[in-house]
Amino acid sequence: MQMFFQAVLSGLLMGGVYSLIGIGLTIIFGVMQVINFAHGDLVMVGMYVTWLLFSYFHLDPFLSIVLTAPLLFVLGAVIQRVTIQRVLGAASENQILLTIGIGLLLSNTAMLLFTSDYQLLTTSYSSSSFSVFGMSVSQPLVVAFAITGVVAAGLYAFLMKTDTGQAIRATAQDREAAQLMGINVSRMSVLAFGIGAALAGTAGALIAPTYYIFPQVGHAFTLKSFVIVVLGGMGSVVGATLGGILIGIVESLAALYLASGLKECVVFGLFLLLLLFRPSGLLGRART
Amino acid sequence: MSSAVRTRVPLPGVGASSLRSWAAALLVLVCALLFSLPFWVTKPYLLHMGVLLFLAVIQGQAWNILGGYAGQHSLGHAAYFGLGAYTTVMLFERAQISPFTGIWLGVLLASLVSWGVGAITFRLRGPYFVLASISVAEIIRLLALHFKDFTRGAEGFLLSALPAFQLGPLEIELFSKRPFYFAALLVALWTTLVSWLVQRSKIGYYLQAVREDQDAAHSIGINLQAYKCLALVISAGFTAWAGGFYALFVKFIDPETVFGIDVSVQILLTCIVGGIGTLAGPALGALLLVPLSEFLRNPKGLVQLGLLSSDSSLVRLVEERLSHAHSFVYGLLLVVIILFSPEGLWGLVKRWFAPARGEG
Repeated sequence: MQMFFQAVLSGLLMGGVYSLIGIGLTIIFGVMQVINFAHGDLVMVGMYVTWLLFSYFHLDPFLSIVLTAPLLFVLGAVIQRVTIQRVLGAASENQILLTIGIGLLLSNTAMLLFTSDYQLLTTSYSSSSFSVFGMSVSQPLVVAFAITGVVAAGLYAFLMKTDTGQAIRATAQDREAAQLMGINVSRMSVLAFGIGAALAGTAGALIAPTYYIFPQVGHAFTLKSFVIVVLGGMGSVVGATLGGILIGIVESLAALYLASGLKECVVFGLFLLLLLFRPSGLLGRART
Repeated sequence: MSSAVRTRVPLPGVGASSLRSWAAALLVLVCALLFSLPFWVTKPYLLHMGVLLFLAVIQGQAWNILGGYAGQHSLGHAAYFGLGAYTTVMLFERAQISPFTGIWLGVLLASLVSWGVGAITFRLRGPYFVLASISVAEIIRLLALHFKDFTRGAEGFLLSALPAFQLGPLEIELFSKRPFYFAALLVALWTTLVSWLVQRSKIGYYLQAVREDQDAAHSIGINLQAYKCLALVISAGFTAWAGGFYALFVKFIDPETVFGIDVSVQILLTCIVGGIGTLAGPALGALLLVPLSEFLRNPKGLVQLGLLSSDSSLVRLVEERLSHAHSFVYGLLLVVIILFSPEGLWGLVKRWFAPARGEG
C-alpha cells in the first residue's frame, strides 16, 4: 500500500508538469484547430534555454522561467506568424506535416548547436528529497508542481477575467462570429501560439533539473501531450489540467506494477481505447 | 502569380495527353537504363544507392495507395516496415527458416496486423486517425524494446551470413550488391504497377471518393471500412516486404531503425516531396531524398565516385556538422513544400507542361 501511495504521489507531481504542456497544446488547438506536432520540441527548447542560462549565468532554473517563458512566447509567435498562419485554411493533414517539419527543424538545430550528448543540469537540490508519512518526495518536483499550479491559475484568470482572454476564448468558440464582433482573430492566433509555446517552455524549465536534456527529448512529450489533450477534450484547459495529472499517475502506477519500459505502452493503449470510445474526452461533450 | 500564368498560351499538342506519352517514353528509357546499369557501372556505392532508392520507391508507392488515393495519412507505417524486418530476421536467426521464405511470412503477418489495426483505427477520421496510427507504431516499438528475451531489445540483430538464393536450378550467392539491386528494382516496378492498377480500377475510384468526401462516398453505397482496410492491407504488405529486404540488405536491425517514428516520417516525406496521390510522386521524391540523405549521412560516397575531393570544404562541413543532424534538411523540405507547393514536385512538373489547365 505504501508503494501504491508513493507511486500515486510521484505520478501526481510529474503529472503537474504534463498538465502545463497539455494546456499549451490545447490552447493552440482550441484557437486554431491545429494539432501542433512541434509541441514537445518547444519543451526541449525550454530545457536547453534553462540549461544555457544555468551553465553560463548560474541562473537558478526555476527563476529563469521569467526569461525562458517570454523567449518561447516570441519563438511561438514568430512560428505562427511565418508558417502556421499560412495553412490555417488547409487540410488538417497538411497542418500536421508542417508542424512535424518545424519540430524536425527545432530538434536538429539543437543537435547542430549542442550535439546529441546528454546534458545534465545539476543544482544543489536536484536529487534532494524529504519524506511525508514515510513517502519520499522529490524537492524539485514539489517546487515545479507549485509553480505549475500558480501558472495554471494565472492563465485561467487571464482567460476568464481579461478582455484579451475573453477574445481568445471567443475566437476558439467561433472564429467567424468573433471576427464579426471586431476581434482581430489572426492576432489572437499569434497570441495563442505564443502562450502555448511559453507554457511548453515553462514546463521545460521546470523539468530541466530532474531530466536528461538532449535534442530528441521532445518526442516523448509531443505524443504524451496529445494523449492528455484528447483525454481532457480538445480545447479544454481544465480538461488538459486533469488529463495531465491522470496520465502522470497512470504512468507511475504502470511503472510500479508492470515495468518501467511499458509505462508508455499503457498510456498509448489507453489513448487508443479513448479515441475509440470517448473521442470527445472524459469531460467533453459529444462531438458534432 | 495566377494572372501571369493565365496569359501564357499553351502550345498546340502540349497538354495532359502529350505529358502522358512523354512520361511513357521516358519510363521505357529509364527502365532500360536501370536494368543495364550494373553491367557498366562498377562502383558499389552507386549500386548501394540504387537499392536504397528502389526501397524508398516501394515504401512510397505502398504508402501512397493508402495515403494518396484513400487520403488516410498514416504516420505509423514503421509498424509494418519493422514487422517485415523483424519477422524475416527472427525466423532466420531463431528457427533457421530461410529469409527468402521468411520475408513472405513477414508480409503475411504485417497484412494480418494491419487488418486488425484498420478495423480499429479507421473509425477515426482526419487528425484522430493520424494520432492513432502513430500510437500503434509506438506501442509495437516499445514492446520490441521491452521484451528483450524475445526480440533482444535495443541490442537488435546482426545478420552474419545469408544462405544462397535458389531460383530454380540457379543458385545466387548474395555476396555482391548486384542481386539485391535487381531484386529491389523488380519489386519497385511491380509495386508501381500495382499502384497504377489500383488507381485505374474500381477500387481506386472508390478510394479517391473516400478521400474527397467520406460521408458522400458512404451515402452512395461505398463500404468505407472495407475499402480503407483493403488499401491499408495492400500498403502494409509492400511496406513489410521493403522492411524484410532492408534487413537482409543492411544486415542490422534494432527497434529504433525499423520501428522508429523517423521511418514513418521518411516514407511520408517521400510522397509529399514527389506529390501525394500521383504515380510518379514517390519515384520523384525518392530520387531527390535518397541521394540527399545518403550524402548528408556519409559525404565520403561522393569522394569515392571522384566527384569531390576528400578535403573539399563541402565534405568537411557536412561531416563535421550536418551528418549529426541530417534530418534538418528533411524538416526544411517539409516546411517549404507544404508552404509553397503542397502538390509536390510532380505538381510543379504538371504545371510546367500544362500552364493553362485548371485556370479557366
